[in-house]
Amino acid sequence: MVTPAPSPAVGIAGAAYYLPPVAKDLRTLAKEGLLTGDVAPLETFGFARARVAQESHVEMAIHASRAVLEETDTDPADVQLVLYAGALASSSVAPCAPPPRGSLLHLGSVPELFRYPASILQQELDLTSAVVTGVNQQACASIFSAIQLGRMTLASDPDVHTVLCVASDRLPDGAPRDIIFNLVSDGACAVLLRRDAPRNRILAVHQVTKGMMYGEVALDAEVIAAYFPTAVTVIQDTLQKAQLTMDDIAWIIPHNVSLRSWEILLGMLKAPVAKLFSGNIARVGHTMAADNIINLRDADDAGLLKPGDRLLLFTFGFGLNWSCMILEH
Amino acid sequence: MAILLTGGTGALGRELVRVLRDDAQGELFILTRDPSSAAGVIAQPGVRFIHGDVTHEGFALADSDAAVLRGQVTQLVHCAAATSFTLPLETARAVNVHGTRNVLAFARDCRRVASIACASTVYVAGRRTGIIRESDTSSDGWVNTYEQSKHEMEVVVRDAMTTLPVSLYRFSTIIGHSQTGEVTGFNAIHHALRLFYHGLAPMIPGDLATRIDLVPVDFAARALHHLVIHGFEGGRTYHLSAGTERSCTLDELLADTVSVFEQSRPAWRKRRIERPAVVDVDTYALFTRSVEESGNVVLQRATQAVQAFAWQMAYPKTFDTTGADAALADTGIVAPHVNTYYGKVVRHCVETSWGRGASDGAAA
Repeated sequence: MVTPAPSPAVGIAGAAYYLPPVAKDLRTLAKEGLLTGDVAPLETFGFARARVAQESHVEMAIHASRAVLEETDTDPADVQLVLYAGALASSSVAPCAPPPRGSLLHLGSVPELFRYPASILQQELDLTSAVVTGVNQQACASIFSAIQLGRMTLASDPDVHTVLCVASDRLPDGAPRDIIFNLVSDGACAVLLRRDAPRNRILAVHQVTKGMMYGEVALDAEVIAAYFPTAVTVIQDTLQKAQLTMDDIAWIIPHNVSLRSWEILLGMLKAPVAKLFSGNIARVGHTMAADNIINLRDADDAGLLKPGDRLLLFTFGFGLNWSCMILEH
Repeated sequence: MAILLTGGTGALGRELVRVLRDDAQGELFILTRDPSSAAGVIAQPGVRFIHGDVTHEGFALADSDAAVLRGQVTQLVHCAAATSFTLPLETARAVNVHGTRNVLAFARDCRRVASIACASTVYVAGRRTGIIRESDTSSDGWVNTYEQSKHEMEVVVRDAMTTLPVSLYRFSTIIGHSQTGEVTGFNAIHHALRLFYHGLAPMIPGDLATRIDLVPVDFAARALHHLVIHGFEGGRTYHLSAGTERSCTLDELLADTVSVFEQSRPAWRKRRIERPAVVDVDTYALFTRSVEESGNVVLQRATQAVQAFAWQMAYPKTFDTTGADAALADTGIVAPHVNTYYGKVVRHCVETSWGRGASDGAAA
């Protein structure tokens, strides 16, 4: 899906995140039975530790959303649309305690089928004017889909001026944290979209879904093989949409999959690794849908981003979904 | 005339047998380790199968066979080779180097022998780049053990050129029949196509403008037949390749491949498999190392199969065919342009499921 740049321009007015305080290194994870494979390849590929939540995914979403509202001095009542994203299927329902080991969902009664995280978020944060909805079938790319939908709404509906996009994921207790050579963390992010935002103007978004490859374990090799050439195509198409080249990009804000895979992808794109904001791959791990926003915020806080910098955000999710977004800081 | 052929059951050998029989010149002996299965594969009248093995001195022939061959053979065509790109070097040498030594030693005992042809490969040039001439004998190292062992074989053959009527015939990659697309011997290129078809070939090293030199098996056999039987000249080296004019670019080859996959199997289009990205050497090396470290067996096998020859793409070269063109002038034997038959070969691969005879389940 290639979407023309809506007018007027929409941007990310604020970005915040929440990471659980508990961080476990690879050896601890292995000792606790939270890795299916060896520590060595994960270390080689750039991982060091994973965040493991005691909190629910909804609690993490509330933390991140409250932070972005406060930091942007936004009255919760001014938010007109909430797009609640999640990579995992379990992120689209309210937490049920205690779920049996190995189960994604534990539903004790029919009404529990209607308990939604977005409704809890609205209630807890007094988002009284907001329409709330979920975006949940693009896996790790779901926050990109939420931002794109919010951007399109802002561009097409003059009555909407503020959209809150949230993503939060938490692996079930005891679930292995190594998935196709990546180390998965729990975490949440939130962004506030506004028309005519003073920074992080969205220049282009491009998404590709290949539904034929829907994630059987036996397809691991095919997924890895498909990842690279499709990623190159998606990134190049996004640059073309924004009428930019890779040379115009100041920073690449990644999803926190393996550093090695980024080195390969950047080699394919002929882009220098120095442009990659990569420190969080080891520090944070792969928080599924929240990575790019966490990294955007940390790069900004570190003073790395200058006004006018073009930022390229790229992610990939099971399903299979490739997403790329270019911002002007 | 009596011709002794080694490697008669290989892709080139089989086609050569057909051409030789069409020419109906004299007796044709085929040296084979398994005469009964060779007879099933070749199925040509007027062929005599001789039990023997080039890796043994004197081919380990029965005394009666040895006497017949030594007394009758006038032409010796040596096509037997270990063509796998992934063999240990010593295994490749056993056939390609020591086997050739045995062939030349045997030829010295054939009192009527007038011509000896040794099949080689243009890729003895290994990692060299640029224009490779038929007179060139150097390399800058090799991409696989096949190339190295064939280079070593050429050294042996050139040493013998002063005392024996022997010439070298360097073939480009032989991929199938120019008219039917039929492939009788599936090699690394066909295997790479299969991996691409199944979405397991994400990248190859090189440049989109790299020229890809391929020849069809019918051209290869007709050219060899003419040069050995009708126009033999000892001490020569010929490039039987497409050359600059009749090769195509890697970009064209990938585009043609996708086009045939989509036409042959509409379901393949639905899978939206990207064509392999063409990347620089460092990126490809990092990718292959990562696959090894990952432990993913399926991808490891796929990557090993592709990289056995794919590195050659990173050393762009073209093959000068001046000598072969002159020797084949006025014969009507000319390598067709790759674009005129490559699609037929790919279609044959898809429709026969790379020789397995059934349609490929993944995209049927």
